[in-house]
Amino acid sequence: MAPVRLPRVGVLLPLLRVWPWLLVLLALVAVRLSKGALLSDAYGLVSRPFWPGSAQQEWISAAQRLGDRARLEQLERENRRLRGLLDLPTVQGRRLQAAVISREPGGWWQQLLLGKGSLQGVGVGNAIVAPGGLIGLVASTTPTTSTVRLLSDPGSRVGVWVGRSRQQGLLSGIGTARPLLRFLEKDPDARPGDVIFTSPASTLVPPNLPVGVIQRIHADADPAPEALVQLSAPADAVDWVQVLLP
Amino acid sequence: MALLSRQPWLVATGLLVPLLTLASPGWLKLDAVPPAWSVLWLLPWALSEGRLAGAAAGLGLGLLLDGLHPGSVSLVPGLLLLGWWWGRMGRQAPLIQRSFSLGLLALVGTALLNVSLMLQWLFLSWRGVASLQGSVAALAGGAEALHQAGPQPALLAMPLWRWEDLSLVGVQILLAQTLLTALLAPMLCSLQLIFWRQVGAGWRGLSA
Repeated sequence: MAPVRLPRVGVLLPLLRVWPWLLVLLALVAVRLSKGALLSDAYGLVSRPFWPGSAQQEWISAAQRLGDRARLEQLERENRRLRGLLDLPTVQGRRLQAAVISREPGGWWQQLLLGKGSLQGVGVGNAIVAPGGLIGLVASTTPTTSTVRLLSDPGSRVGVWVGRSRQQGLLSGIGTARPLLRFLEKDPDARPGDVIFTSPASTLVPPNLPVGVIQRIHADADPAPEALVQLSAPADAVDWVQVLLP
Repeated sequence: MALLSRQPWLVATGLLVPLLTLASPGWLKLDAVPPAWSVLWLLPWALSEGRLAGAAAGLGLGLLLDGLHPGSVSLVPGLLLLGWWWGRMGRQAPLIQRSFSLGLLALVGTALLNVSLMLQWLFLSWRGVASLQGSVAALAGGAEALHQAGPQPALLAMPLWRWEDLSLVGVQILLAQTLLTALLAPMLCSLQLIFWRQVGAGWRGLSA
């Protein structure tokens, strides 16, 4: 009895022989359609032991910091040179660290007492900077102490400008923790969130020290718009400040 | 003579007032406003020593404390008047020695002291604005354009309490300080009153 050959199986035979290759093709199509998902995952898995470690990240960020600092110094030098050409006042000279030995952030007089005085070179009118920005100016000195009038004191008036739109104004203490920014123009381009810096036009304070952030604007105040400013340096919490010596 | 014999104590305790003003602890403040240490010291002293000693101590204390603050506003008029007033009251001693009356006197005294400061600021502000407006008017020479030119930077730049700030923040400071001082006074002032009386009695006993 002759064996019965099934013609249909004979047609499928070559297909059966190449099915592993079909699978490979399918896999390749999957890789293509998934934009190389399997491939790069596999590469990641295999190459994991050779990935750059944390040490390398630190080197790179240190290099980045170094580069940033060099760039900042370069820009400051350039800025000083340009300001010198324009005969504008500049921030230069030493910074003196001073401890806060008495603090009066509320009440009729809002002031700090610092543990450095005229013997160390502190003079009336020197700007006082704390982490965050300007907090006040020296109002009087004794040989070993100096009194700082805070920006929130009603006797404090400092020329400032809005960093974004360069609108000039006067920062006036009103006795509360948040001083009032009185604009010199009827229609200032300022909005809540704008950062306030000391004005380059002011002769009393070094230019472009950060002061605070505009919190609220009274556009219809008389005679010019006013804004409440949240100071960026916490005057009632600082223990050490820097005196900017001219 | 009585004053002289008590001088060491007078000076030592009197010097405590500026020290406490400088080193006022944060937890002893109401709304960041410290108590009026000068009132807490002056009240028992004036009550026990009479009006002349009270006024003299008020003057001295005011001069000491004025040295600690920048600006031209002074504590001297307020403290001088309080010392004189409380010194005169000292005659009705039995009536006043009760703690409640001490608290009440400290309350009125602190309020008066703060009002004296506010009046000075108001006067300075009024005088400054008047003189500035006078000079601006003289400069403008009646030109309307200058009057309409917007805010005058010189007026904004005057470092003063403005009336609207004083009526809001000033009253808040006044209330906080008055309340705090009146709360502390019955405790602190009665102890000091006993102390001054004892020192005085000791001296009188020796001299007699």
